[in-house]
Amino acid sequence: MKLEFILNDKAVSLEVDPMKRLLDILREDFGLTGTKESCGEGECGACTVLLDGKPVTSCLVNAVHAENKQVVTSEGIAQKPLGKLLIACFDETNAVQCGFCFPGFLVSSYYYLKNDGEPNLEKIKTALSGNICRCTGYQKIFDSVMMACHRKQEQEK
Amino acid sequence: MKKVRKFDAVPKLNGSYKFLDDYTRPNLLYGGFLYAKFHHGKLKQIKFPKKFSKDEFTIVSYKDILGENIVPEPENDQPFLVEQEVMHYGQIILGIAHPNKKKLKQFIDNIEVEYEEMPAITDIEECLSDENNVFGRVLEIKHPAEIGNTSHLIHTKRIYRTPHQEQAYLETQAMLAEYDKEKKEIFVLGTMQCPFFVKSALDAIFGDTIHNSVVETSEGIGGGFGGKEDFPNIIAGITALLAYKSGRPVKTVLDREDDIQITTKRHPSRVEVESYTDPITHKIRKLNIDYRLDAGAFQTLSPVVLSRGVLHASSGYAVEDCYIKGRLFRSNTPSNGAFRGFGAPQALFAIESHIDNVAAQLGIDPYTLRKKNILKIGKEFPTSQPIIENHLEDCLEKVIEISDYHEKYREYKQWNLEHKVKKGIGLSLGLHGGGYTGNGEKILNSKIKLVIEKNADINIYVANTDMGQGAHTTLAQMVDEAIEHPHNKTRVVIPNTNKAPNSGPTVASRTIYIVGNMLRNLIKEVKKELGFDNLETYVKAHQADFPREFRSLFKPDPQAIFDDETYKGVAYKDYSWAACVVEITYDPTTYEINLEKCWNVLDIGETVNPEIARGQVEGGVVQALGWGLSEFFYKKGFGRKQGFTDYTMLTSRDIPELNIEFIHTDNPIPKGLGEIPMDYPAPALRNAFLNATGVGIDEIPLTPEKIFANLEEK
Ligand code: FES
Ligand code: FES
Repeated sequence: MKLEFILNDKAVSLEVDPMKRLLDILREDFGLTGTKESCGEGECGACTVLLDGKPVTSCLVNAVHAENKQVVTSEGIAQKPLGKLLIACFDETNAVQCGFCFPGFLVSSYYYLKNDGEPNLEKIKTALSGNICRCTGYQKIFDSVMMACHRKQEQEK
Repeated sequence: MKKVRKFDAVPKLNGSYKFLDDYTRPNLLYGGFLYAKFHHGKLKQIKFPKKFSKDEFTIVSYKDILGENIVPEPENDQPFLVEQEVMHYGQIILGIAHPNKKKLKQFIDNIEVEYEEMPAITDIEECLSDENNVFGRVLEIKHPAEIGNTSHLIHTKRIYRTPHQEQAYLETQAMLAEYDKEKKEIFVLGTMQCPFFVKSALDAIFGDTIHNSVVETSEGIGGGFGGKEDFPNIIAGITALLAYKSGRPVKTVLDREDDIQITTKRHPSRVEVESYTDPITHKIRKLNIDYRLDAGAFQTLSPVVLSRGVLHASSGYAVEDCYIKGRLFRSNTPSNGAFRGFGAPQALFAIESHIDNVAAQLGIDPYTLRKKNILKIGKEFPTSQPIIENHLEDCLEKVIEISDYHEKYREYKQWNLEHKVKKGIGLSLGLHGGGYTGNGEKILNSKIKLVIEKNADINIYVANTDMGQGAHTTLAQMVDEAIEHPHNKTRVVIPNTNKAPNSGPTVASRTIYIVGNMLRNLIKEVKKELGFDNLETYVKAHQADFPREFRSLFKPDPQAIFDDETYKGVAYKDYSWAACVVEITYDPTTYEINLEKCWNVLDIGETVNPEIARGQVEGGVVQALGWGLSEFFYKKGFGRKQGFTDYTMLTSRDIPELNIEFIHTDNPIPKGLGEIPMDYPAPALRNAFLNATGVGIDEIPLTPEKIFANLEEK
């Protein structure tokens, strides 16, 4: 099929097998390798992207489902002000270990920061509960997102 | 000690840092494996699916191996590829490559393997209780003492069991291999902990056919935890064979299911602990420990895991009369391998649970029993290694204080009488010897290299990888802090066996402790030799001398002597120490444990980068609590875990509040850090459950099913 969608704010189109996973389209056809595959079955969140603004695991989304939609990957988020804010916080706390899970965490925390952003630990935990990290024990990820929520509030004051 | 940020954090976040699967090559083939889906049997026939043309695929079997079909390991008993007899589920029979990933998978999935089934041992209990099943060297540590009549002593004998644990690094195992026909050289790029191990595997599988092999790591390594210590040897070997045979670059990336089915895990254990304790003085007078590990089908590096296990088996306690025996048992499951802790978590689970069982029998609190028997100056390990500091006791006292242990211990007793949902508090001690065991570092004989460039940049060449633990940031920091050089002018070059000398594998909590200390000493010597105050000014004034290379060798401590035959002497020159308190709530209606708080006090010596160190403890503790609470791989009646859907790790919703303190950080030596946080938390969790319910379960994980079964029994 001919697939058309908006990728990181740019209109794109390509000829593709409708059953090809969005994950593979991003990595192989667009070279956006920030989106990672870890479990391939929707459990770990390493492949999380925003589809029409909502986080989805791109290993479970087929090409047809991206048709005419907005897709934002970690690379796209890294360019946005709130994405930059989050990256700065993850960096400052030395939260990142192997980093394989982090593009996924970046997408999930961006969604939270953008749509809620309350510096509330329980809410943050819930927002990130679809992402697995095997290295960090999560604590520093929470600390970083919390820090970003506070900074965003300050900026808005 | 200053706050230095990781150089790789931002590129990992914005997606620009490359992990193995992010690399590609023109004309690339994808590699995959056909592996056995049965436990034990003789191969009869392999039937390839008719609907594919077989010629499109590059296929290698053991017959294509040009050197030896043996993976180099401490014990050389594992083949790269099956010859006739499959010894375990997941053992690799063929390597296969094709330009199309999807087609490759379909082809492999449709291959039929005919075999003659043979009897197999797959159940952990069956494996570990049959004494005829032992293989390899039996280890013994003897510390005999005449303690006289034991009839007035309290006798406690229990068996403790722990399951497989999957490393579950988020990046699965992966390798990219290329063959240069002209140069007769194999190049392998991979996600791994030990580039020189992989190099020796390539040299073994190719023999004299090639002139050289070069191994380099990908920029990012998505976690290792021991899982990428020795298994990469096999993936690299077979992938390189495919590249050699096809004449094209080959990239093998395991999918999660294959990774879980075929790679190494933490050894399941069965540890019998028998003790005799004085009911008046509360001194443990006599201790017998029978430490058993399920090694899987081959020994590979299990003898080394066994060694560390027996050396940590009596934990932080001084017992006059002590006997420890360690044995490996064979089963038809994949070889178990390295996993953070390396035999120590199993050992500590047993002894630290046992201490609480003894305390319960004596009717005293677990703190008092620990305090009475703790290692301190004047005491010795069962190997007769003398104790030279009281830091373990300091950890214990500190964790008791910050967690308000005594108060909660009393309070929860009362609470539990009056409430349905129970509260529990549990204690454990931990210790971990840094670096290779005994004479291991002497034998390894690590080498390091620094190059000071014309612009005064310092490039560090070592074989140790950064798999997320922050080693490259910390190593660079140790070098620049030693001579007050700007941090952004110091870096570790991506490990490559042609460029870096062999500074040993990235294992055994040795990277900062051994290699970091070597680097720090080297740069200090360089400073003395050249006589500079400021390196940048010096290099500017002496441009003709640069770039200049400096090297050094590991210098063993002549005092640290260990006898590998008798297991006497200094097993580890420097121990890290820890004490831990875990608080839980337990709901008897759902049989579910909730992790509430986890307090950790550690002595790891100098904390070069305190935030990185804290991150290591947080991650290790959560892995350990997952092992205690929910993780297991294979169990009779449950079958095998297939992926992350059924292999349950802790998520952000499950973790407790973590509290971490480092003490004795004024020690000039940074000791081992990576593994100790994995060693001690599981028994503290188990002891908290005992405290909450009065029921001591001697086996993990404490899943609701296991708790239910144990309560039914009682
Ligand atoms: S790879 Fe998609 S959720 Fe794990
Ligand atoms: S940082 Fe390694 S999995 Fe999260």
